Amino acid sequence: MELLEGINWGLLAPLFIIQLILLIVSLVDLSRIEKTNGPKLLWVFIIIFVNIIGPILYFVIGRRND
Amino acid sequence: MSLIQIQGVKKSFQGNEVIKGLDYNLEKGKCIALLGPNGAGKTTTLRMLSGIMKPTKGSITFSDAKKDGDIRHLIGYLPQFPVFYDWMSGIEFLQYVGKLAGLTNKEAKERSIELLELVGISDAKNRRVGKYSGGMKQRLGIAQAIIHRPQLVMLDEPVSALDPFGRREVLELLEGLKKETTILFSTHILNDAEEVCDEILFLHNGEIVESGTMEDLRERHQQAKIDLIFRKKTADMESTFKNHTLTQSILVDGNRISVFVTNVEQARKGFLKLISENDWQLDKFEISSMTLEDVFMKVVGK
Amino acid sequence: MSQWMTLFQKEILEMWRNFKWIWVPITFILLGVSEPVSSYYLPQIIKSFGGLPEGAIIDIPPPTAGAVLASGLSQYSTLGVLIIVLSTMGVIAGERKSGVAAMILVKPVFYLSYVTSKWAGSLLLVWFSLFIGYLSTWYYTGQLFDWVAFSDFLQSFVLYGLWLTVVLSITVFFSSALLAPGMAGFISLALTLVVSIFSGALSHLLEWSPAQLTSYASGLLSAGELPEHAMPASILSILVIILLLWLSVFLFKKKELAA
Repeated sequence: MELLEGINWGLLAPLFIIQLILLIVSLVDLSRIEKTNGPKLLWVFIIIFVNIIGPILYFVIGRRND
Repeated sequence: MSLIQIQGVKKSFQGNEVIKGLDYNLEKGKCIALLGPNGAGKTTTLRMLSGIMKPTKGSITFSDAKKDGDIRHLIGYLPQFPVFYDWMSGIEFLQYVGKLAGLTNKEAKERSIELLELVGISDAKNRRVGKYSGGMKQRLGIAQAIIHRPQLVMLDEPVSALDPFGRREVLELLEGLKKETTILFSTHILNDAEEVCDEILFLHNGEIVESGTMEDLRERHQQAKIDLIFRKKTADMESTFKNHTLTQSILVDGNRISVFVTNVEQARKGFLKLISENDWQLDKFEISSMTLEDVFMKVVGK
Repeated sequence: MSQWMTLFQKEILEMWRNFKWIWVPITFILLGVSEPVSSYYLPQIIKSFGGLPEGAIIDIPPPTAGAVLASGLSQYSTLGVLIIVLSTMGVIAGERKSGVAAMILVKPVFYLSYVTSKWAGSLLLVWFSLFIGYLSTWYYTGQLFDWVAFSDFLQSFVLYGLWLTVVLSITVFFSSALLAPGMAGFISLALTLVVSIFSGALSHLLEWSPAQLTSYASGLLSAGELPEHAMPASILSILVIILLLWLSVFLFKKKELAA
């Protein structure tokens, strides 16, 4: 495939890595936190299945900041 | 020596007058209980004294206040439901508050360890406060209130959230604290007040209805009381005792009738005669002087 | 001063414990970098999946590096602003609502220190995140397109940072003036939006508006020189920030801690 060859993986790899970090950190935080806005299980799904936006949504809306 | 002068203090919320006028001189070195039923205005009074609320009218003057009127270095305050940063550990919170109150790093650390020991939550010092039970939070709350050795410690219902065992411990803690500082604490349980305090302020409907030392109060309200407990109470009993010439007032509680009388000797004879004449089934006949609880009930007007 | 540092350190620590130091910078990186990456690969993706008729030639002229960088930056004035407001709206209102503010402020803590330490903590987070995110965007733009002069990058960074600081200060102001964090966030966002729209529509009249800093930053990137009104707009922004902070402390002091 021409498209795949044209991609500079060295440049994109770091982005995938920090995205993964974001995913892991949000899951760690979710497991530690006592209460979320809305059911916890829902947030697990959002974080895992909504690419990039999921973890950010969790931190901004789902996390209950006192 | 006077620590605080409270003059004509009133507080209204949306036109609703909760505190109707307080005048009091709080003296140094005392342990004073602010006693009253729920809704009497205890919490509001303590909040005004600690400065987190301002009186609508009147003045609260601390003799050692700073020039700008700041009194916060003089006081320690524990609200009824203390709140902490849940993400901090117990010791972190104490050190944080200690440093904010002006202790150095080292002092704050040492004092925190000492206080955690004193209030009995040393084992949990590294646990996050979010995981603490209600009783542990109350203890941490007491520790944070006294960390900077304030002149006056104000505690809002410090024992009402605790189980009997914890209550015992905290009351003993207050007993020890009495030697170091002035304590003002609110409670609706008379026993707690009686146990640790020298002085009582009865608050009812936003007013101080009675105050003084335990002895003062007992003396002032000295009256003989005759407690009568019947197996079965009949309707005419109450009115008979109430209208008796020696009776001043009566309190009725189930099968118990408490009669306050002027002359004990005459009353004893009279009452016993009355009971045998009517053939009322008496279980218990007791003569006693008025307890503080009776004073409490009487001033509150129940 | 040591009291201020204690308060400030607590803010920094709190942002570690709730992972703000991780997720906000990462979000800013992803937001910014997505711009050069997508404008570089999009034409290729269209080409290979587009199923265009034989012989059709798509000829999208590649954007200039300055334009790519500017559109990366513009992500921060929409989604970036949203994240800043939503994550700082509770900074004071939340503590007062929960009652912990009363616990702290019955200690001899200066109200000025309490408010400014919170502002400063958020400030550090915003500038750090913006720097990391924007630097990555600059790097990716350089790799995929062309290199923009580093001095232009730095100047546009400062202009943008200043605007985001104004947004942050507005949020802190409403957070200390109102009791409900949600309301504080909503009003801050609405105000920011209104200021931006007005400044954009009446740009010839409101040259000194802080919201213009965003267009001055992109102007700088495309033209390579600092726009004329960037300086006065910056100075006005700083004044606005100071005024907002002062008002925050003033209003906060006047309110009773216990509701």
